[in-house]
Amino acid sequence: MDLSISLEEKTLVRRLDWNIILVILALNVIGLINLYSATHGPNSKEVESLFINQIVWLISGWSIFFISTLLDYAIVSRICYIIYFFNLLAILYVDFFGKIALGAQRWIDFGFFRYQPSETMKLALIMLMAKVLSQRNSMGQGMGIRELIAPLILVLIPFALIMKQPDLGTAMMIIAISGSMILFTKVKKHIIVGAIVLISISLPIAWEYILHDYQKNRVLTFLSPENDPRKTGYNALQSRYAVGSGQFFGKGFRKGTQSQLEFLPERHTDFIYSVLSEEHGFVGSITTIGLFCILFFLVLRIAYQARDKFGALIAVGVLSYIFWHMFVNVGMVIGLLPIVGVPLPLLSYGGSSMLTTMLGLGLISSVSFRRYLF
Amino acid sequence: MADYVSNPDESKEYWGRYKYIYVLVVTTFLVFSLRLWYLQIISGSELRDFSEKNRIKQVKIPAPRGLLLDRHGKSLVQNLPGFEAILTPQYIVNLDEMAVRLAPILGMEPDKIVTRVQRSRRVNGPFATIRLKENLTREEVFRLKRINLDTPGLEIRETIIRHYPLKQNGAQLFGYVSEISKKQLPLLNELYKGVLKFEQGDIIGKSGLEENLEREVRGQDGVSFIQVDAHGRETSLRNPNIIGDKITDQDASHGNNAVLTIDRDIQEAAHKSFTDLKRIGAVVAMKSNGEILAWLSEPSFDPNEFATAISSQTWSTLINDPFKPLRNKVIQDHHSPGSTFKPLVALAALEEKKITDTQMVYAPGVFYFGRRPYHDHQRGGQGYVNVYDAIERSSNVFFYQMGIKLGIEKMHDYISILGVGQKTGIELAREVPGIMPNSAWKKQNRGEEWQEGENLSTAIGQGFVNTTLMQMVIAYNTIGLSGKVVRPYVIQKILDQEGKVLKENFPQVLRDVTQVQPNGVKISDRTFAVVREGMRRVANGDRGTARFWKIPGVEMAGKTGTSQVMNFSADQIYSNCMSKPIHMRHHGWYVAFAPAINPEITVGVLAEHSCHGNTGAAPIVRDVIQAYFQKYHPEVIEEGLKAMKTKKAKAPVPEPVPLLDGE
Repeated sequence: MDLSISLEEKTLVRRLDWNIILVILALNVIGLINLYSATHGPNSKEVESLFINQIVWLISGWSIFFISTLLDYAIVSRICYIIYFFNLLAILYVDFFGKIALGAQRWIDFGFFRYQPSETMKLALIMLMAKVLSQRNSMGQGMGIRELIAPLILVLIPFALIMKQPDLGTAMMIIAISGSMILFTKVKKHIIVGAIVLISISLPIAWEYILHDYQKNRVLTFLSPENDPRKTGYNALQSRYAVGSGQFFGKGFRKGTQSQLEFLPERHTDFIYSVLSEEHGFVGSITTIGLFCILFFLVLRIAYQARDKFGALIAVGVLSYIFWHMFVNVGMVIGLLPIVGVPLPLLSYGGSSMLTTMLGLGLISSVSFRRYLF
Repeated sequence: MADYVSNPDESKEYWGRYKYIYVLVVTTFLVFSLRLWYLQIISGSELRDFSEKNRIKQVKIPAPRGLLLDRHGKSLVQNLPGFEAILTPQYIVNLDEMAVRLAPILGMEPDKIVTRVQRSRRVNGPFATIRLKENLTREEVFRLKRINLDTPGLEIRETIIRHYPLKQNGAQLFGYVSEISKKQLPLLNELYKGVLKFEQGDIIGKSGLEENLEREVRGQDGVSFIQVDAHGRETSLRNPNIIGDKITDQDASHGNNAVLTIDRDIQEAAHKSFTDLKRIGAVVAMKSNGEILAWLSEPSFDPNEFATAISSQTWSTLINDPFKPLRNKVIQDHHSPGSTFKPLVALAALEEKKITDTQMVYAPGVFYFGRRPYHDHQRGGQGYVNVYDAIERSSNVFFYQMGIKLGIEKMHDYISILGVGQKTGIELAREVPGIMPNSAWKKQNRGEEWQEGENLSTAIGQGFVNTTLMQMVIAYNTIGLSGKVVRPYVIQKILDQEGKVLKENFPQVLRDVTQVQPNGVKISDRTFAVVREGMRRVANGDRGTARFWKIPGVEMAGKTGTSQVMNFSADQIYSNCMSKPIHMRHHGWYVAFAPAINPEITVGVLAEHSCHGNTGAAPIVRDVIQAYFQKYHPEVIEEGLKAMKTKKAKAPVPEPVPLLDGE
């Protein structure tokens, strides 16, 4: 008995993927250092407490990580419809009664915590898509229209509701994540071609009738931020100055003038990477996206070794979740993409994002944890 | 775990697809790295400059203007420290809310603040600062500082306020400063090209010596580099969190001081005397060598109000005042000199031998030239008079006859060389030359031939002849000095901050008219002596028009005069001037020098709309000259007082009465 317990403990520790934990921890440390700087400017008393909040979110995040590691992710496949359903209800609630911020309804206010259901919907969708997609393409020929209908409907319902808020960034994320998973599961070539044609036709229509003016402005501004440096182009330009002025080694911890003197907007959330680039320069910037790459490689290895399709798809889904967030956020900060309000996982301040990300990584850890069990 | 039926091999189906994800991740990493390389390494220093420009704001440190001091170093124009409230529209977050908070502190209407900010933003752009209020009180500064941090766009700045301790006294001479106007900016930069550089918001001298001495007193503005945050709030560079090699500030260098020839005591005495009598007009007191001792013009304005953003209401009152408070009436207005002109005509007549000092002339009450009657100021006339009597009693008819005998050309030649009809050459701007007419002048300006009858009016200082007060003082001073025409000046020295003399003006005799002048005439010592004696009698003789205003121990020599504001018929001339509305009353003149022999000082007073030269102007001249002797020769006055005491027992001092001096 004693022996078996000690054996089990030994295996428990051994079976954890320590590499991924260390990479996540490294990103957490970078995130905290950077967030401290972003929230402790000379005139920013009002955001100082956010740093403590973030530590609380981080501790909660790690708890969730380990709990989900220990739980068999197979449970998820049984409850994912329920999670999806309740999440949809929450989004519906937000759409009609939510807090209005920045011209959009996104939150349910719990007092201590503002819950953003569209954020958790990303993960709920990953779980549900993993379940649905793992049962498809059994022939390996790629999915046809009939196989695609169910997953597409499951994606489009939350997509439409989030667009209504309106939260273009999150909506696009949902499309990007589920699209990646669908493409990964393989789709018949003619359907891909058809989809591309359909999108190129519908884009101008969406531009004309669906996009809000502020969203159009962001795209136009992205194309030429110098046209209006004081208004719509301000964020893009200030971010470019911040990143560029960091030069090779950066201006130093808490010495980034762009962030400390508040020229950077949203510096503890969407533009956290600008703060990092300004204060830690090329070295810090590359190190951070390098850590993300290592994280992706580690997740890919776990997916590769997953015991089943469901596990592999969960890993691929969470990977695409983190990847697309990083892609859009960093791309926006360094001026390669238009300004879209998307947080940088593990670095941006925010409970919803942190908990969702850690839960996702916890599920990956769970997939990894169970790879030896067959 | 057991209830999940897993197929260990099924996930192998995906194995071939992971490479796509690898490619995507690696490509993204490479693209981002290249972009970061481009931004941070290739464009790094350029973007660093942009970020520096964001946070470093250049603030001009205005140079303190040089002081204006009187001849003994007493301050006439000085600087006081002060605070002003500045707004930058770009950084204002909520204009209406800010206006509501600021308004009660500054005692302004919130709407007015909003309109001002909006207008400035529209006209000058969002980064041009607005001086909301200058010269803040301690209380205002304290209350503003409390809300400063929560009010982006508001700044409390230390300033230097130009202060004029004499206030209204001599304001037109010293001038005033205020913010440069948009129209002036290019003009002044052209004018002072290579010497001074003006920018929007600069405080400059707008009139008087402040304007005249701009080059000397302006100094060199400094620059201070401060760090601001995105909301325009200054953030200390000493804050250890922030990098920043502090760029060295450039200190402002103080403007040079100017020592004037003005004597503050005499200036104040003149002002007290003039305003006690509630006069409007001008006073100038000059040492015989040309140094101006006192200079004022009334009504006046308080230049301190201009230094602290004058209200539009005050401004419109000033420019619409019919008595022209902004005008420097010593040199910028000319009037008919009236009877003060007579001594100058007498010089010409004596020198041309149209009369000798003993010759008697019959001066009836009415003098007919052709058919036209020319009146004396006394109905009965003066009887037989010589030149001394004529000056003492101001006989019109005597001078009518001199006018006829001399003709306009002779009068013009003699009186011109005394400086009448020309600028005196004083350093101040906008001096008018006055008019000394002759036939050529009339032809050119009026297109008509000179009429014989006009010789008569010219000879008593009416008609076309117009002089400034300064010119009359120069002409009388020339009589006092027996022919030396001096250049009046008010700036004695320019000193730098260490007290080193940079520039110094010295007395200058422009010409000695006892020598033959380019126009072929000269005036001999003897002639001057005769006229001086006539003028001495004006102040001292039994029938002298200014005999009621004496100074113990000092004899003055002068001449009163009345400048007709409008032409009146004989009846109106004799009617009571004081019963007319003020703007129709005559101007009174009195110009005198003292002592009557070897004078040291010449003083002129123009008392506008005071009706008479004697009661209107003479007491002020007396007071100014008395103040001079009391300060510089008190022993003379003392002796005079002693002498008077013994005399007093014999005869009571007569009461002054307004005389119709022929003027």
